[in-house]
Amino acid sequence: MSIRLSLLALLSSGPRYGYQLRVEFEASTGATWPLNIGQVYTTLSRLERDGLVEPVGADEQGRVVHTITEAGREELARWFSTPVAQTDRPRDELAIKVAMAVAGGVDVAEVIHTQRMATMRALQELTRAKRSAAGGLAQRLVLDSLIFKAEAEQRWLDHCEAVSKEKNR
Amino acid sequence: MSVVELRDVTREHGQVHALRGVSLEVSAGELVAVMGPSGSGKSTLLNLAGGLDRPTSGVVTIEGEDLSRVKDVAAIRRNRVGYVFQDLNLIPSLTAAENVMLPRELDGVRAGRARPEALAVLAEVGVEEIADRFPEELSGGQRQRVAIARALVGERRLLLADEPTGALDTATGDEILELLRARCDAGAAVLLVTHEPRYAAWADRVIYLRDGLIAETGAVRLESAR
Repeated sequence: MSIRLSLLALLSSGPRYGYQLRVEFEASTGATWPLNIGQVYTTLSRLERDGLVEPVGADEQGRVVHTITEAGREELARWFSTPVAQTDRPRDELAIKVAMAVAGGVDVAEVIHTQRMATMRALQELTRAKRSAAGGLAQRLVLDSLIFKAEAEQRWLDHCEAVSKEKNR
Repeated sequence: MSVVELRDVTREHGQVHALRGVSLEVSAGELVAVMGPSGSGKSTLLNLAGGLDRPTSGVVTIEGEDLSRVKDVAAIRRNRVGYVFQDLNLIPSLTAAENVMLPRELDGVRAGRARPEALAVLAEVGVEEIADRFPEELSGGQRQRVAIARALVGERRLLLADEPTGALDTATGDEILELLRARCDAGAAVLLVTHEPRYAAWADRVIYLRDGLIAETGAVRLESAR
């Protein structure tokens, strides 16, 4: 869903061809979500079928250039004005794993420990990516989003540890 | 080269074992973060590393000198170690530059030399323009930068920071870490106590203390973090 709308968003600032859309998408999101060119073309043809974009000829190298339609702009405006619902996100495997560890009598502290090391490593890598990111504001904010999520997970693990310690006293 | 080293260090406050045998080394150019729940011994560790407190047993060395054997620990504290705390940082009746000059003047350096040194280090941390303002006229981030300048003046190579991002918003907190990171990359050793994972993530190594012991370490080392 978000690829479709992201392409519309990129097209809203001017006509572009497929490869250009891919490059700009990756630059804005810090290559956090690699996009293959096939996905771009499939998405463009669906957008065209739905009347949200239309081809406006080709550039000098024969690449087809697309532009956003009025319906496309309306669709995009609707996206930006609608909050993302919690239920649109996938289930949290870690929360389920910890719950199952508690229910199944597994050593919860060990599960927490293993995850904490991995999450801290991920957080270090994200921080390093942010430090070396030459990209603009969009890329930085995407990295920040991932940093905040990793941080929240880390805090939640601390909380799990404190609470399960309390219960075992 | 190790700038500060703790070997089998314990610290007891009466019946309370604040640290129960901790070994840790911080090298030049290295940023080490210490995390752990409250009461885990984080601040005790920092105070021992900076010679502000003495261990019950074990050895603390700063740039190769065993603190239990040197005559003047206070001199080592003043000349080699810089401290940054969450609050109680700057003296309100002194300007930013005067605050930074203070440790040098306490060391007997004349104002005529201490001031240009202070201005240089204020420039390094990016707040040259506020040198003649008083702390209350500065933002939280600027105050913390001045505190870091004061901790660095006189080429001290060990920087101890206890929750230096305390009341700052995350964007300003990140700037403070960026600054500490840059000082590390320029050769300082930094030991950072924080309860915030996002700031610990700037470190080369993250250490977790629990009940006075190092619970987890090393595994999160990023060899090419710099």
